[in-house]
Amino acid sequence: MDRETRIAWLVDHNQRPRHRGTLADADARVPGGNPGCGDVITMYLKAKEGENRVAAVSFEGVGCTLSQAAASILAERTNRLTPTFEEVLAFSYEEMVDLVGRDIASSRPQCATLALGTLKGAVKTVEMNRKLRLAGHTDEQIAELRGAIAAQAEGTGLVIGEGAERAALA
Amino acid sequence: MPETVAPVADIASRGYAHPEVLVSTQWVADHLADPDVRIVESDEDVLLYETGHIPGAVKIDWVVDLNDPLVRDYLGRERFQRLLRAKGISDGTTIVFYGDKNNWWATYAFWVFRLFGLKNLRVLDGGRLRWAEEGRDLVTAVPRHPEGKITVRDRDDAKTRAFREHVLEHVKSGKRLVDVRSPEEYRGERMHMPEYPNEGALRGGHIPGARSIPWGRAITQETHTFRPASELRTIYQEENGLRPQDDVIVYCRIGERSSHTWFALTYLLGFEHVRNYDGSWTEWGNLVQAPVEKP
Repeated sequence: MDRETRIAWLVDHNQRPRHRGTLADADARVPGGNPGCGDVITMYLKAKEGENRVAAVSFEGVGCTLSQAAASILAERTNRLTPTFEEVLAFSYEEMVDLVGRDIASSRPQCATLALGTLKGAVKTVEMNRKLRLAGHTDEQIAELRGAIAAQAEGTGLVIGEGAERAALA
Repeated sequence: MPETVAPVADIASRGYAHPEVLVSTQWVADHLADPDVRIVESDEDVLLYETGHIPGAVKIDWVVDLNDPLVRDYLGRERFQRLLRAKGISDGTTIVFYGDKNNWWATYAFWVFRLFGLKNLRVLDGGRLRWAEEGRDLVTAVPRHPEGKITVRDRDDAKTRAFREHVLEHVKSGKRLVDVRSPEEYRGERMHMPEYPNEGALRGGHIPGARSIPWGRAITQETHTFRPASELRTIYQEENGLRPQDDVIVYCRIGERSSHTWFALTYLLGFEHVRNYDGSWTEWGNLVQAPVEKP
């Protein structure tokens, strides 16, 4: 794909985003923010029952053209491949930059990789929730644990998870 | 048809020290076909220009076009001259910058151009957002301007750019420092994403003695245009004790927001000794043994 075509492709994904919106009965809803640019992505993830595999994802977000286009492209790829959790976590930020186009994305790596960071956060959330359930915690207890973890993280600069929207848009 | 707003055309009456550096949307609209005017869009959003821009405007990206690809520095004379000529800029061209984020990158580009001594520089008051809100044309066609003939002199950082050693001298001597980041960044409550080390900082807080004056205070929120000089004086001089003759260094995270404040202090209030520390918090917050104050 030449640069001009790639730019048209990215702009199209920004203007007609695929898989944008909430996901009914999602197993995880994880926000991610890029304070440098003010981008926010919230990733919804539904896992396959009994498998460490993504069933479907969707996203909501606001921000620059590249961040929103990258989220749409990643969501499209993820829904097509329905990768295992391991595959999502192994998909590197460098590969994400290549996916959207290194010639454009290398100058804005945060924008290009925010959606991937948030997707990884969603996978980790599902994995953790499953482990906590196996350990006998109820959904209510898990929600409380997550609240406590988020409170501990305040002030550390972490922006994947609770509080990411506020951090990015401050 | 989306609702649009009326143009703002009161720049001359706002009491600025150098009102000629700001132009209105109407001025730009009146000069779209002027061969001696080059309109330059410079954005945070790397693809915003491609979604539509002011007719005839060229794009200059702060990362790709203005930075040296290897060293953390700006490009040298030869590359800068090549860039400007490719954008159709000659010695007599008036260059008008505009962009997103209330002109962060427009004023940043303006500041970098000043390092090379360029003089016929302007900023579109209200930036891209104001232009769009007035319902003015945005087009996707990329213009092809004839090659320019500008001759550029060597970059001179001395007058308007500060380096870390200058900042340290300011700290020791108690001279004026202005931190234009958000109050959360100033207080060290928020840094940046640990997964993206190129803009991260290992320490949070601010440079000792720096006053917190967020860049956005220079803007009238409703119109996105610069506040009148009287309001700017209240903010910078009365509330924060800066004086036009002071030796001032401004900083933020990488120098883009502080170039906005540098512009306001230098051209709108007429301060004569303002330097932008583009190393900013991404350098200072990682610098071994650099003094930090928090909150």
